[in-house]
Amino acid sequence: MGNSISKVMVKMFGYREMKILMLGLDNAGKTTILYKLKLNKIKTSAPTVGFNVETVSFRNVKFNMWDVGGQDRLRPLWRHYFPATTALIFVVDSQDMKRLNEAKEELYSIISDKEMEDVVLLVLANKQDLKDAMNPQEVSDYLELKDHLNNQLWCVIGSNALTGQGLVEGLSWITNNTKAKDKK
Amino acid sequence: MSQGIYLTDQPVRRPQPSPGNSLIRKIQRACRLTLAEPDLGLNLDVADFINAKQGAAPRDAAIAIVKLINSRDTHTAVFALALLDVLVKNCGYPFHLQISRKEFLNELVKRFPERPPLRFTKVQRLVLTAIEEWYQTICKHASYKEDMGYIRDMHRLLKYKGYIFPKIKEEDLAVLRPGDHLKTPSEIQKEQEIAQAAKLEELIRRGRPEDLKEANKLMKVMAGFKEDNVIKSKQLINEELFKLKRKADLFKDMLSTSEQPNMDNETLVELYSALKVSQPKFQKIIEEEHDDDELIQDILQFNDTVNQLVQKYILLKTGNTSEAANIQVSSISSSAPAGRSSGALANELNLIDFGDDEEPSSSPPPAGESGNPVEDLLGDLNNLSFSQPSQTFGLGGSISLGAAQPTSQVTPASDFDLLAGFSNASSSTPPPPPLRQGNSNSGSFAFDGFADAFNSPKAERVLVSSSSHLKIEFEVSRQSESSIKISSFFSNEGVVPISGLTFMVAVPKSMALKLDPQSGNFISAGGKDEVFQFGSIENAPANSSKPLKVKWKASYVVSSTPVEETAVFTLPQI
Repeated sequence: MGNSISKVMVKMFGYREMKILMLGLDNAGKTTILYKLKLNKIKTSAPTVGFNVETVSFRNVKFNMWDVGGQDRLRPLWRHYFPATTALIFVVDSQDMKRLNEAKEELYSIISDKEMEDVVLLVLANKQDLKDAMNPQEVSDYLELKDHLNNQLWCVIGSNALTGQGLVEGLSWITNNTKAKDKK
Repeated sequence: MSQGIYLTDQPVRRPQPSPGNSLIRKIQRACRLTLAEPDLGLNLDVADFINAKQGAAPRDAAIAIVKLINSRDTHTAVFALALLDVLVKNCGYPFHLQISRKEFLNELVKRFPERPPLRFTKVQRLVLTAIEEWYQTICKHASYKEDMGYIRDMHRLLKYKGYIFPKIKEEDLAVLRPGDHLKTPSEIQKEQEIAQAAKLEELIRRGRPEDLKEANKLMKVMAGFKEDNVIKSKQLINEELFKLKRKADLFKDMLSTSEQPNMDNETLVELYSALKVSQPKFQKIIEEEHDDDELIQDILQFNDTVNQLVQKYILLKTGNTSEAANIQVSSISSSAPAGRSSGALANELNLIDFGDDEEPSSSPPPAGESGNPVEDLLGDLNNLSFSQPSQTFGLGGSISLGAAQPTSQVTPASDFDLLAGFSNASSSTPPPPPLRQGNSNSGSFAFDGFADAFNSPKAERVLVSSSSHLKIEFEVSRQSESSIKISSFFSNEGVVPISGLTFMVAVPKSMALKLDPQSGNFISAGGKDEVFQFGSIENAPANSSKPLKVKWKASYVVSSTPVEETAVFTLPQI
């Protein structure tokens, strides 16, 4: 019944709720992004051991954002967070070229999971403020999304969690690209 | 986009059946009307499927089956119950977790009238049998019995309403009792992984704040940031080894009591096979645990004993009594190793439950224990008609568990219960040694009387501990009637820098602790107050008669050796 109420809400107000999963290597800036969006503040955080979850309302969408720690030992546990995910935000540290390949491998292992085959993928090329950061186009080329993802909607946006640049754009891209799906 | 047929930018794909659907199909196949009787093969097929898939499969199966149980058609319902029985017996914890959900249990008894009928229908009788069986087995013996609270509650509720549970045959119960098998560390680990993954997913699915808190903690355990898993598996091995030694003792006694023991004695044969079966496991354990010398020595020694016993048994069996008498089996010291490791475990356990949670109290104690069962049940009945109307599943019929917490929440709130906390976390271990004997450096225990000396004004610095490296001080001040502010300051007393400092505090269960992140984790040599941390304790009443105690643990690295300090600290009265 709760479900049908929300369906009515969708029809009347276009109000929606969705689960967003935010993953990426450690030190990519996931937690900083989460709290920048939620509190509009920079919380310097220690590496996340476990996960954080916050709801962020944007336009008429309520995002349940899950930010799961990215250290090696936590990565095998990511899959437990996959069920019912609408959109995946994969955060990349654009300056950390050495680990970009590692990030790429993790990304492909996530989206090859059966539970994740219908999610829309937003890659945030984070830390654009840093001097040697790769730009979103370079990150996108490196990840070779064009060649590998035919069935999935995806997008790479440059971001800077400290100023909030790119974050709202990201959320609005997700909002715009999931609506069609719901109405089907 | 409007409805109808249209092409999108995406390639045209045939709609793929989701994994959930094939599970449902299998379940329906196992319960279809054309079958003459429940087909064990089909049922086991469903069990295998669930065991292989995990994830949402146990939950989906439980929901689908309970729907079939409630179908108008008795035939289908009986089949569904047979399937349920097979799954409970073969799918282990992940499925047990699902049948112990309140919503599931409410659905299960949806067709039970408020008052028990004169004669139960077949389906009702089978449902009662199932609940009684779970009540007598997994609710009592399983290592995770505290997660099965709602089954106990439902059992009590039905009993209170006047329903009578059928007697269960001993053989049926035996299936669900845990077997005594010696397992290798890797086997134990695998079981733990499956069980913890199931629990984590269930917690994430429920998503209430308290569930998320627990999920976060569980994740730390699963990722190996806490040592619980390793310790627990060590403990399990030692327990099984201990049991096996007792068996060997018995076996030895039986073989040596008379000249001509009766070789067909059932117990004797059983003991023999138990020992024989575990021998290959010794090898594996030794391979996997090659760095635990003590354990290996112990196993090797025991293995020799078992070999001798087996030989003696075979000789006796072939009638070679004189030779058998020559084998003097060395005695088995069955207590030493088990005691050793569970002692270590007890030491660790106080740290496992870093106390700001409620789940120990929300897992109801066994039926007899809670204060006033009748009242609890009445409270539950009151909830009956109000349970969340927005849910279709789990709303139940006229009997259901209310929306409130499990009934026995009423257990008196103990005001300082850290000790009780770990003793119920480790039901089978001996009571932990007094905390003061902890493995801390000298000098850290001197504060008990010390604290009282600092009884007076606000935000006075009190010394919590000072060892050769680390000095910890608290500034304690009262913020309101019920909350206390604690600021901790860390200084380096030594000449070597301290790195990787983590500081943890646990408060009595009735209170809630909030800690801000530490300002850092590195203190240079001789650095004073270089690291600090603010926090507050909620729900700590002023003028309480008992002094407030907190337990703390500090771990850090000094010249690349890890150090741990821990103790209980009595806060000054404020």
